[in-house]
Amino acid sequence: MTTARLGHHAGPAAIAAALAVIAALVAWLQVGPVLQAAPAEGYDIARMVLLYATLPRMATALLAGAALALSGALFQQVLRNPLASPTTLGISAGANLALAVATLFFPALLGFGRDLVALAGSALAAGVVFAIGARRGFSPFSLVLSGLVVGLWCGAFSAVLLLLNERYLVSLFIWGAGSLSQQSWDIPLSLLPKLGAVAVVSGLLMRPLSLLDLGEGGASSLGVSVTQLRFVAVAAAVALAAFVTSAVGVIGFIGLVAPTLARLAGAHRPRELLVWSSLIGAALLWLADGAVQYFAGAFSDFLPTGAVTAIFGSPLLLLLLPRLKIRHRGVEAPRQRVRRRGLDRRLALPVLLALLLALAVGLLLGRGLDGGWTWLDPRAANDILSLRAPKVFAALASGAALAVAGTILQRLTGNEMASPEVLGISAGATFGVVVAVFVVATPGLSAQLGFAALGSLGVLAIIFLMGLRSGLAPERVLLAGIALGAMVDAVVGILSATGDPRAIFLMRWMSGSTYNVDAATAGAVAVVAAVLIGIAVSARRWLDILPLGASAATALGLPLTVARLMLFGLAGLLSAAATLSVGPLSFIGLMAPHLAREAGFIRARPQMIAAAAFGGGLMVLADWAGRALAHPYQIPAGLVSALIGAPFLMLMLRRKA
Amino acid sequence: MCQDQTRPAAAQRSGAFRVENIRLDIGGRKILDDVTLDFPGGEITALVGHNGSGKSSLLKIMARQVPQTAGNVLFDTRSVSSLESREFARNVAYLPQDVSTGAGMTVRELIACGRYPWHGALGRFTADDRQKVEEALALTHLEPFADRLVETLSGGERQRAWIAMLVAQDSKCLLLDEPTSALDIAHQMEVLSLVRRLSHEKGLSVVIVLHDINMAARFGDGIHALRQGVVAASGRPAAIMRGETLREIYGIAMDVMPHPSLDLSLAYVS
Repeated sequence: MTTARLGHHAGPAAIAAALAVIAALVAWLQVGPVLQAAPAEGYDIARMVLLYATLPRMATALLAGAALALSGALFQQVLRNPLASPTTLGISAGANLALAVATLFFPALLGFGRDLVALAGSALAAGVVFAIGARRGFSPFSLVLSGLVVGLWCGAFSAVLLLLNERYLVSLFIWGAGSLSQQSWDIPLSLLPKLGAVAVVSGLLMRPLSLLDLGEGGASSLGVSVTQLRFVAVAAAVALAAFVTSAVGVIGFIGLVAPTLARLAGAHRPRELLVWSSLIGAALLWLADGAVQYFAGAFSDFLPTGAVTAIFGSPLLLLLLPRLKIRHRGVEAPRQRVRRRGLDRRLALPVLLALLLALAVGLLLGRGLDGGWTWLDPRAANDILSLRAPKVFAALASGAALAVAGTILQRLTGNEMASPEVLGISAGATFGVVVAVFVVATPGLSAQLGFAALGSLGVLAIIFLMGLRSGLAPERVLLAGIALGAMVDAVVGILSATGDPRAIFLMRWMSGSTYNVDAATAGAVAVVAAVLIGIAVSARRWLDILPLGASAATALGLPLTVARLMLFGLAGLLSAAATLSVGPLSFIGLMAPHLAREAGFIRARPQMIAAAAFGGGLMVLADWAGRALAHPYQIPAGLVSALIGAPFLMLMLRRKA
Repeated sequence: MCQDQTRPAAAQRSGAFRVENIRLDIGGRKILDDVTLDFPGGEITALVGHNGSGKSSLLKIMARQVPQTAGNVLFDTRSVSSLESREFARNVAYLPQDVSTGAGMTVRELIACGRYPWHGALGRFTADDRQKVEEALALTHLEPFADRLVETLSGGERQRAWIAMLVAQDSKCLLLDEPTSALDIAHQMEVLSLVRRLSHEKGLSVVIVLHDINMAARFGDGIHALRQGVVAASGRPAAIMRGETLREIYGIAMDVMPHPSLDLSLAYVS
């Protein structure tokens, strides 16, 4: 018995020990020289730094790592979902947004209780995610996807606040990316009792949690109150994440990677999983933070560890993906309500009129010098239109392109939550532009377009290769995309944190502003989008048949691999073209196909055309709203559409399920 | 092994399949081993066997859904691997075991998908295509459901809609993978009667994987039985429906008794 138990524990223990040893070595590289040096007389600055910065930082890393990992393990156990974690469920992002809002608008609240604010934010995010998940039987993928959308939305909202209030929030931004930098023992000492209390509660949950593995019916027949247990466990997990976020910001992926490592190393029972995850998480974050400090040197204070963990964490997730057993297939056939058919023809005209109206508003209605609303003055028409028209038409073309890309991806993966944004394709395009900005001194339009296309096709290629092994199972494709997207975001975040002047250009561009769009760019984007949409529409038969399933499609003689490859490529190019003018962060590609389907445009061709109209129109309105509402400031179109789009989408998903 | 040699020269009619020395290994495990069988044109051949006997795998190999490890599949004496994918689909239609709920299509739209092998990705949907769709609707008695969404149909109706799609495909041979597995007994009869009617009226060859040996004997012109990846028995239903043969196929004590009103034997576990 004992040997068996020991053998059982050897895997996770070895991993925890190995990580800890490496982390300790890295730590010694920092601490050792100071300890070995003869203590200086009087005011010893090296020793002060060691005592009041280095050591507390390590303590914080250990505590935060353990807490996040425990939180992730709790989520995974109670939701029976190997992908749950504070990051993937949007919990950390919720806490972050709540803190940003409180800092700006209700600073008194922070004095009252910073943790409470963070707790409220993350509880709210968890509430939204679970409310959607509950309707779909807590299916792992819907849950993670809604968590992701909540996370993206919170990120977008924080970005708007940041853009509008740069002076107040710069430090919040660095902190928000997860910096462990410390000046005293205050934070680790205040964190310890809070985390300890929650950890004790989690310890009490271990036995009932292990019964949950029998399934809901089995557990309740043994006398476990499943609802109560779920609530307590989720509350504990949320609290852990909120406390950590409130103390050190968002630290991505530890909560996902540590439990995954523990499970792969052989920890299967809840008790083992919770214990070893915490230990592995602590060692992992200690190591990551030590490595950041060691390699970044003096610059490390500004290099957020959270972004670094995302950079290392997401490729790890990608590697683990094929080995991960996903317990129940999460993607159910979308349950659609019975709809009246033949709706689409009657609706075509109203949709067209709405699109024209949006264009008219975008072009003609604006704010005057005094800030009042005014229609376009015919005398100044030429001057103003030459400035406005490129933005409006770039927004139109990009919105339409994203909408069609989203339609293609949703039909291709058979998942209604797929879109260029969620799959990380837009992030890939962003990465391409980042490379362009840093490699080519001043990239022209064609260079930008080329690099963006390379980036998004690169992401697509990796997703495709990752998915190929599992026969392109939609859930794996989605996960690969999520992981890649997070990684690209983290790279861009780190570049931005360096304070490089080019980063400011990137920030503005990423938030999706049409501010820099000139006639040439608009023309290019419009032409590219029109050509690609034309090709997509001609592939309508493939898009009609593919949702019937892979074997049915092959049986009809459809060249499956070629078709998937071409359609993925098409979606990548469409996203790249759109990302150039509206950035990676609008939810148009997710939203427009749903709107089209809700309106009764079911088959591939009408759905694509209607989605393009909806997407283009929405983007034009978002662009207009961004220019007009916060006058004289300009909120980027991509952010506006994300802010309006995400809640709308959540509502719709909740209603539909 | 009990080979029945008294068949008419059905192999000469078009739509005939022949598999030769088929082997299939998956992850080092032998699923099928040296399977050689004839599926005569214009007849209904039932593939039976215990769970994991390899019957569905054999059908998937014939449908080119899964590549075999070794061996040949011949359709009308040509190797199926020599056919281009749409050309193959114009000759052979395959119904997967788990069909989707139709992705928001109406019954008519689903059936129209069956015309893809003829018009391809870009070709026009001609009057001929439209006519084939209407014919398929009529043959399967689905006209009243033509404009209903596939997902609103009952299990049996949905299965009929998918079979109608295969009919519209206008092929010579239907490969059906357990089309009755999720249906109650009434709907099983409905679907299998439809399959038999189609085979007789249109002269279609049908290869059908079935769980229920009594259904296989009732609706099949011939039966091939697999056991642990090898051919256990093959012949006319009357030749298969013997206690001794059934015991060999399923590995439990079985016997048969005469049907009270029809000229059939019924198998039961003794």
